[in-house]
Amino acid sequence: MYRIRFHGRGGQGMKTASRILGTAFFLEGFEVQDAPRYGAERRGAPIFAYVRADREAINERGIIGRPDLVIVADESLVPIAAAGVMTGITGDTVILINSTVPPDLWQNRLNITGPILTLPMTTEVEDRLEARFIGALCAGAAVRLVDVISLKSLKAAIGRELEPLGPEIVKKNMEKALIAYNSMDGHAGCVKEGGGMKAEEYERPTWIDLPFDEAALSAPVIHGAATSELMKTGLWRTMRPLIDYDQCNRCWWLCSTFCPDGAIRINDEGYPEIDYEHCKGCMICLANCPPHAISAIPEEQAKGRSEGGKKS
Amino acid sequence: MDETRFKRIKDLPSTHILGTGTAMCAGCGGLEAVHEVYDILGEKTVFVNAAGCMTLLSIYPFTPFRGSWLYTAMASAPAGAQGIRDALDILLEKKRIPRDEDMDVVVLTGDGSAYGMGLSATSGAMERNLDFIYLCYDNEGYGNTGQQYSSATPHAARTSTSKGPKGFPGYKKDLFSIWVAHNPLYVATVLGAEPLDLARKIEKAKELKGPRLIIALSPCPTGWDFDPSESVEIGKLAVKTGIWPLKEYIDGKVVHTKVPDRRLPVEEYLKKQGRFAHLFSPKRNDKLIGEIQESVDKYWKGI
Repeated sequence: MYRIRFHGRGGQGMKTASRILGTAFFLEGFEVQDAPRYGAERRGAPIFAYVRADREAINERGIIGRPDLVIVADESLVPIAAAGVMTGITGDTVILINSTVPPDLWQNRLNITGPILTLPMTTEVEDRLEARFIGALCAGAAVRLVDVISLKSLKAAIGRELEPLGPEIVKKNMEKALIAYNSMDGHAGCVKEGGGMKAEEYERPTWIDLPFDEAALSAPVIHGAATSELMKTGLWRTMRPLIDYDQCNRCWWLCSTFCPDGAIRINDEGYPEIDYEHCKGCMICLANCPPHAISAIPEEQAKGRSEGGKKS
Repeated sequence: MDETRFKRIKDLPSTHILGTGTAMCAGCGGLEAVHEVYDILGEKTVFVNAAGCMTLLSIYPFTPFRGSWLYTAMASAPAGAQGIRDALDILLEKKRIPRDEDMDVVVLTGDGSAYGMGLSATSGAMERNLDFIYLCYDNEGYGNTGQQYSSATPHAARTSTSKGPKGFPGYKKDLFSIWVAHNPLYVATVLGAEPLDLARKIEKAKELKGPRLIIALSPCPTGWDFDPSESVEIGKLAVKTGIWPLKEYIDGKVVHTKVPDRRLPVEEYLKKQGRFAHLFSPKRNDKLIGEIQESVDKYWKGI
């Protein structure tokens, strides 16, 4: 059975990638499961989708624990533990990362010896969330890496999955998928099917037994206020808003009022300050700043400028 | 109440009490409205939340609120509010809490619940003259599950259950009028992108005692398919084109609080959103755009 996981950010088309790959497998006569992780999937938030494909009926269910292929559309997710990119990776797992950093450097970084491939898919865009067609690229690469699906089935799958978006979009996605497919020529078939898993070999998660208590004790009650601030949603951001305090005229705190997340506070002097630990990078502030005092730079370039939002 | 403490934008709160770090999408128009509303209502507020996007505000052990929050099934948030109101009243009567520790009970639901499956519970709550605030964040579809159509979906919009060249064949339910027909104390429409209008209405609602119901149009980058940075602009266009009339119902009268001087053509609003893209490409659908314009014109002619 093939077990394949796609990791990306909400909006990058990982669900689409899994749908295209799943349909392509299906058209080749495989039994298929494909599903995105359901839950708090949000634009910019780390998400994943997965595909299982087998010649026989698939009895496995749930999230893939031991993947044969992991495709990472957004390299910034790799170091984020919560994104789970490295979950269940074995020495046989092929990892394909959308990155301009060479594979051996990734192997050093991650301290693994298993096969890592890279495919620079998004060099032409500044904001990774704006990278169109990345789902199709991921699916195209995956098809070549497993090498059991014909080009015809890949094309048919793209046509089927993207049909409501119109012929133009379908055509562009096909082109992109083919580029990715061809770029993996040297690695065709390097992803091997993982063996079946027996129910007896199933590793139970470690449960914590909770004794039965009165509702007053055991009900999920939160006593702290605004504990959500412990969640660092700044990780969702791909672009960083910067306030130019020479331009800011302390207008009417519009940025602070409009910011859906309340991630802009006004300091004692009346200047806005952006909370980068929580700013999700929606850029409503940039779009609505009357004197145009807010600009945006790619998050990559912003590293080491953590004080960029403070009035100094 | 004639006096408002929100005369100009500078009077709006500069500190915000809703916690950061929630799971709402970047650029969420609903969260924008909720945080603005919460700033005005203050910390002494209990939220009763029916299933929807905003359920994800409080995921144990995290909450952005500074007070209590109760999660109910989709159809029964007003019933949950009744229970909390009753409990507070009993505590007050028995003097187990002082008057100044009383709280506002606020139902928070999406349009799926407000316009659809929660409507009968809301009707009952109004009938019982329940002292509560209902805040509906209306993103015109079942946003949390992938934008399937709801009773609030506008005519011709694409949803994940209404595809094809004509989009959604139905029409947005007029929830404002349905609520008004119950003759509750206060009903209003608001918008996060119009914070001053919103603040005045919430300020007014807070001072009243009885059923007070608010609908906040909530531009949704994910469900409506636009760039998150345009959330405010699209909201403002909904007002400028006349698609989202800002109004309130009080003392038996409907008053429009912000009437656009010269309404922009509806297509200015429609063309910014992917969910209406099929009206413009591959071929412009003048008939459908015209129908939408006509219904807006008809509305304003009638007031």
